[in-house]
Amino acid sequence: MHEKKAAILGEIPRLRRYARSLLRDRDAADDLVQDCLERALVRLDNWQTGESPRRWLFTIMHHLFIDQMRKVNRRGEATMLPLEAGEAVAQPAEQMESIASREIIDALQAISPDRRAALVMVAIEGFSYAEAANILGVPAGTLMSRIARGREELRGLLDDTARRRAIRIVEK
Amino acid sequence: MIRRDFSERDIHMAIDGELPADERAAYDAWLDANPEMKARSARFTADRTALRAAFAGVLDEAVPVRLRKVVFGETPVKAAVSRSRWWLAAAAAVLVVAGGLGGYLAGIDRVGQENPAEDQLAEQAIAAHVVFAAEKRHAVEVPASDKDHLQTWLSNRVGLKLVAPDLTANGFQLVGGRLLPAGESKAAMLLYEDDKGERISLFVTAQSSQNAKGTYASAQDGPQAVYWLDKGYGCAVVGSLPREQLAVVAKSAYGQLMAGLAS
Repeated sequence: MHEKKAAILGEIPRLRRYARSLLRDRDAADDLVQDCLERALVRLDNWQTGESPRRWLFTIMHHLFIDQMRKVNRRGEATMLPLEAGEAVAQPAEQMESIASREIIDALQAISPDRRAALVMVAIEGFSYAEAANILGVPAGTLMSRIARGREELRGLLDDTARRRAIRIVEK
Repeated sequence: MIRRDFSERDIHMAIDGELPADERAAYDAWLDANPEMKARSARFTADRTALRAAFAGVLDEAVPVRLRKVVFGETPVKAAVSRSRWWLAAAAAVLVVAGGLGGYLAGIDRVGQENPAEDQLAEQAIAAHVVFAAEKRHAVEVPASDKDHLQTWLSNRVGLKLVAPDLTANGFQLVGGRLLPAGESKAAMLLYEDDKGERISLFVTAQSSQNAKGTYASAQDGPQAVYWLDKGYGCAVVGSLPREQLAVVAKSAYGQLMAGLAS
């Protein structure tokens, strides 16, 4: 039991990073991690010895996230703020984010949750396509198209931001 | 060197380390021959680097005490249910999308069993009530004027012999009913209305393996559910009536449903 808990504890930094990339807001992200941990502990017995704790925990957290996104979306909350609006909502500067980091984090928040999760899973968390598809519970083909569309969408948003910045400079 | 046609798809695979090693040389040659693709690859690669950099700092942050406490059992597990409640209050979403996402949600459900069955039933019933009781013209699929068909149809779909209770003694007339998803199974929803336009709904599923009863509210001033679970079926009566009044109506509905099931 203690070994299992120690293994879970060791995954928390990774879970927090995944949550933060999905939700941006630090407290909301930690709430998600906390829910994930609580759920995991309740079903500690389901976790097969030998199964990677990372995969197991990411699967639990992903389900929680998607569940939440669908519900929040239906409530009509702005989960996909357009970039301008996203900029207007002043995020507390909890750490020194470079402008480039802030722009890419904003853009990441603006793409659809499914694509965001797929992209983050491979591009940041470093899971293989097979692992990511397994965790997200989708066929490999779906995963690949989400990654491709996610990347294109992200790039499109960053191009828009750059264009707006250029216009602003010209206007000055 | 392997010769094959490459496409944008391969750019993503190459960036994510999924391109087979023996195709790498041919891929690089293809990139060199297609400047546009090469530029695209360079942009995506730079974005990937920027993404990783943007979140790299999180790994170095100290693990918050509250998370550490969860793992070492100092936070009562019950707290998970209450903190998640704000998501669940919006459970309507699950109902609305469940049709199209059946398989997907079934997967989620397997992970999401932490809610006791009775909570799930009550949440589903409340969500259905919130969505459909608010509808003026599209509250039901089959109107009360077609009551026989309504009862037969829902009975067949849900797999229970359903008789729509007569609640006129409580001041409620049947408006009609509809079929809804309930987890991996189906539910019947019957909607009633009094002469002031106040609505209550009955939510019945054949999916239950335990016995329980109680009342449940998902939000402070939202509608309440009075529910029963028995082997083989679950039933919830949902409305925004005063609690005692709802209990009386629910009792009457339950008695008639039971009589109908047994008939």
